[in-house]
Amino acid sequence: MAETLFDIAAERLEEGTEMDRLEARGTLRLALKEAGLDVQNLSIPQLQAVFEKLMPRELEARGVADAAATCKAVMKEIANAASTTELKASNSPDEIFKRLGGS
Amino acid sequence: MAEDAYIASIAAGAFFLIASVRLIRLHRRTRERPELLLGLFFALSAVYYLGFNAPSLFRFGEWPAQIELVVEWAYVLGVLPYLLFIRLVFRPNAAWASWSVGTCSALLLLSTLMLTAGGTVEYSLADPWFCFQWAGYTAPCLWLAWEAMLYRQNVTKRARIGLCPPIVANRYLLIGLFGIFQVLACLADLSIANEIGNKMTVSLFTDALLGGAEIASVAVLWLAFFPPLFYTRWITRRAVILPTPMDG
Repeated sequence: MAETLFDIAAERLEEGTEMDRLEARGTLRLALKEAGLDVQNLSIPQLQAVFEKLMPRELEARGVADAAATCKAVMKEIANAASTTELKASNSPDEIFKRLGGS
Repeated sequence: MAEDAYIASIAAGAFFLIASVRLIRLHRRTRERPELLLGLFFALSAVYYLGFNAPSLFRFGEWPAQIELVVEWAYVLGVLPYLLFIRLVFRPNAAWASWSVGTCSALLLLSTLMLTAGGTVEYSLADPWFCFQWAGYTAPCLWLAWEAMLYRQNVTKRARIGLCPPIVANRYLLIGLFGIFQVLACLADLSIANEIGNKMTVSLFTDALLGGAEIASVAVLWLAFFPPLFYTRWITRRAVILPTPMDG
């Protein structure tokens, strides 16, 4: 089965921190839920925003040292590893609603 | 009802026509299906709204029965792309959504066929086919309202981290409200059918409910499809977007 962006991100997070698989996936899931994102339909810009704005706080809360730098490093790896995995987002509800109002 | 010119319904019809032209032109540019489906819904709704009220507006009595049938069918056929729009936007991969679209479409087509089989359109709660037809065109409005409000919860969160422009997030609320106002207009239809069925004149309450729902529908669609600058600025100013910790 093909790896999703979520799988790749959770894997890199696990490698970049001392969290185990379950903890890394759970932490990422919580951050995605807070961001109102669907685990199955993630895009790189969405993950980037989560790692920039929400994950540093989540990691700090779990005792990860230098959480912001860790997030930056993990995000860089995700962007490299997942360049061919990204889903087409032109027909996501957000894109459709954006077009309907002409913005 | 056919004897009264409802200014609100005529205004709604005119607005639906403008919105449909804009959406179909958008489709010609993007080649995407959602705008085409919604554009067709609004175009056929405009035919119904304007066609239904034209006799009172231009004071020429009544349409010939065949024209009344065409007007009735225009609305019913317009609900089909509306259903497809909701499924395509909110539940593109859900089997239950495809079944719902199929069931609702079949219900609408069959009930309208039975209602118009005699060559005229009858509105009466005593006729079960009227009730089936009513359910067939009310369900999509309720479905749209439900989906838009459900999505709004998540999109508000996405807007907070800068993943969705606040004005787009607000559009989910407006479309959800449109669905709710359309459900209210459908409830007014029930009341009208009841009053006409009992040989009564349409009550002031029903008139106000229908008129109010149509005016409110036009207002939210105007803000959604043609957002004025002051509204866009107001929504953007009110939005709370989280700062980026790494930037600090």
